[in-house]
Amino acid sequence: MTSKEYDVIIVGGGITGAATARDCALRGLSTLLIERGDICDGASGRNHGLLHSGARYAVTDREGAEECIRENRILRRIASNCVEPTEGLFISLPEDGLDYQANFIAKCREAGIDAQAIDPAEALRLEPAINPRIIGAVKVPDASVDPFRLVDAHILDAQRHGADIKKFTAVACLVKENGRVVGVKTAAGEVIRSREVVLAAGIWTAGLAREAGVNIGMMPSKGALVIFGHRIANMVINRCRKPANADILVPGDVVSVLGTTSDKVPIESCDDMRATPAEVDLLLREGEQLVPSLAQTRIIRAYAGVRPLVVADPAGDGRNVSRGIVLLDHEERDGVPGLITITGGKLTTSRLMAEMATDLVCKKVGSSAVCRTAELPLPGSEGRKPSFEDPFVERAAIGRHGTEVSRMDFGKGGEILCECEHVTRAEIAYAVEHFGVRNISDLRRHTRIGMGTCQGSFCIRSVAGALAEILAPDPESAARLADEFVSQYRQERWKGITPVLWGDTLREAEYMQKVNGNEI
Amino acid sequence: MRFDAVIIGGGYAGCTAAGILSDAGMKVCVVSEGLSLSVSGSKTPYAAQSALQKRGVTILRGDRAVGAKVEDGRVLGITTRNLGPGTMLEAPFYILATGKFFSRGLLSDKEHIWEPVFGADVEYGADRTSWFDEDFSAPQPFMGFGVKTDSSARVYVGGKALENLFATGDIVAKGCKEANVTKLIEDYAGRE
Repeated sequence: MTSKEYDVIIVGGGITGAATARDCALRGLSTLLIERGDICDGASGRNHGLLHSGARYAVTDREGAEECIRENRILRRIASNCVEPTEGLFISLPEDGLDYQANFIAKCREAGIDAQAIDPAEALRLEPAINPRIIGAVKVPDASVDPFRLVDAHILDAQRHGADIKKFTAVACLVKENGRVVGVKTAAGEVIRSREVVLAAGIWTAGLAREAGVNIGMMPSKGALVIFGHRIANMVINRCRKPANADILVPGDVVSVLGTTSDKVPIESCDDMRATPAEVDLLLREGEQLVPSLAQTRIIRAYAGVRPLVVADPAGDGRNVSRGIVLLDHEERDGVPGLITITGGKLTTSRLMAEMATDLVCKKVGSSAVCRTAELPLPGSEGRKPSFEDPFVERAAIGRHGTEVSRMDFGKGGEILCECEHVTRAEIAYAVEHFGVRNISDLRRHTRIGMGTCQGSFCIRSVAGALAEILAPDPESAARLADEFVSQYRQERWKGITPVLWGDTLREAEYMQKVNGNEI
Repeated sequence: MRFDAVIIGGGYAGCTAAGILSDAGMKVCVVSEGLSLSVSGSKTPYAAQSALQKRGVTILRGDRAVGAKVEDGRVLGITTRNLGPGTMLEAPFYILATGKFFSRGLLSDKEHIWEPVFGADVEYGADRTSWFDEDFSAPQPFMGFGVKTDSSARVYVGGKALENLFATGDIVAKGCKEANVTKLIEDYAGRE
């Protein structure tokens, strides 16, 4: 039996792959997206959640800055349910001086970014948590974006326009015939054919390409981040100086994220990225300059992601390498037809990356369909959000899923299981049905379960039970599955807790040890 | 205020010691801040402390020891937050039973772990990376951290064991001795 031949197979279920799948599907191409794990399992799920205005790049990378502000405006429109228009501040401390700020404002304006200098006293009124020593502040249209929600929305739209999504399916290698890439072979041995293959697998792209005889010089650049237990500021707070470590604090839902570092790491380490205590210490030292109260703020956990930077010269620390979009036509570049790579770029510019990749796919397969992704709203962001007679329980679900909440069946249980994020039994059932959730980690990515201030301490047992009841065939195996979920969840969270294990976090850790009956 | 014994900490370890000492006829004072990991909930610790009160034990509920007067290797008294610096709780001997991190018997920052009442010597890993095991369900090193005691469970402060300060319960470092309360009764009964 031969399976169908697709126009295009996209490898990678991060934001780049999801946006490319959506664009291809909207243009009428028969599309398959294949992802080895769950969506957002790589860098797309391990970042600031920052929708750049482009201001950060205005001084050093004019092109990148212009891309950011254009895409920023588009995403606010098409993904209104994923974007929180917080706005951002670039603050100057005495040691930064005001010369950089003057140049910064001029460059922002040249790039089309609305940058307004405001009085330091006014900045402190807007955001009382920032360092009171500031000598200058500039307001820019930065925003907060939920990367999980954004990727989910792209996947849903791709599916609704006919794309097939295969999650939890690793690609073992690309299939080549007479020098041409004609599809992929899965780890299970299945060969799936297509006219074009697009690699959108972030840092994991290099390995797949190499197997097919194509060399892409990729440099994994690790970025570590720290999550604090509440919203310290309502705007994105940046330092007005040359981009450096730990100079951005981003509000995201009920918490705040500080980042990031930038260090070259071995490619082998990318499958198990974790923040280290040393990175956390560095982030805090620098972050306290932005917002002094970070020193006393409860830290929830730390995590790390990998930027897929493409380099000609693989030396350097990764911060001076361009973070521009890299589109590789391997037919032109390497004489390997049928293969395209899209990488580099940013979460903010993912739609543009997808458009560029899809334009190339269309050229290769002879389609003249035009891109419509900048105009059509994503699922969840279409028109007015539904209202409920009894809005309390549903409010958080509307916040997460927007207009999609009308597909949720509250008859399946309106009781709140995760108190921090107000996740109901109905939302869990919805996530299983629509996103193929198999375990608690998947559920977290699609509902934010356990991502609030208690980090699952209070809710995880009832959540695990509810999820297991849906997934397991009988009560006995449900109980076993629930236990597995709980220990998997605890281990996963523990990875993010150990780098910040002191003070209140250490108090909580002792509590968790006792609750779990772990004994010394 | 004078007692036959002052116990700092009203969890399982502190209440147990208080019960044994008061049964032996001693006038005991317990400083109990509140949340304890060793006795869960609110009703159970309340019941235990009420039973002790009925037997004549003085319980300072919701109070915490904030300072200690130490001279020549002996504790002369402690002060509490609620009674203020002017009131000293005095006794021939003292038992430290404040638990670990959760109950704030031990405090910590990025580099240090310390015992806040006496500044007792705490056993812990010098590097924070040695405080934990990556495997959540493995024994965690930090669960073994605590104050260092000698073979009679006397607490070390500045490298020297204080003569009349003993420790018991979770605050004691793994491998160190916990106070033998029966022995304390033998040693101290009828002294004052």
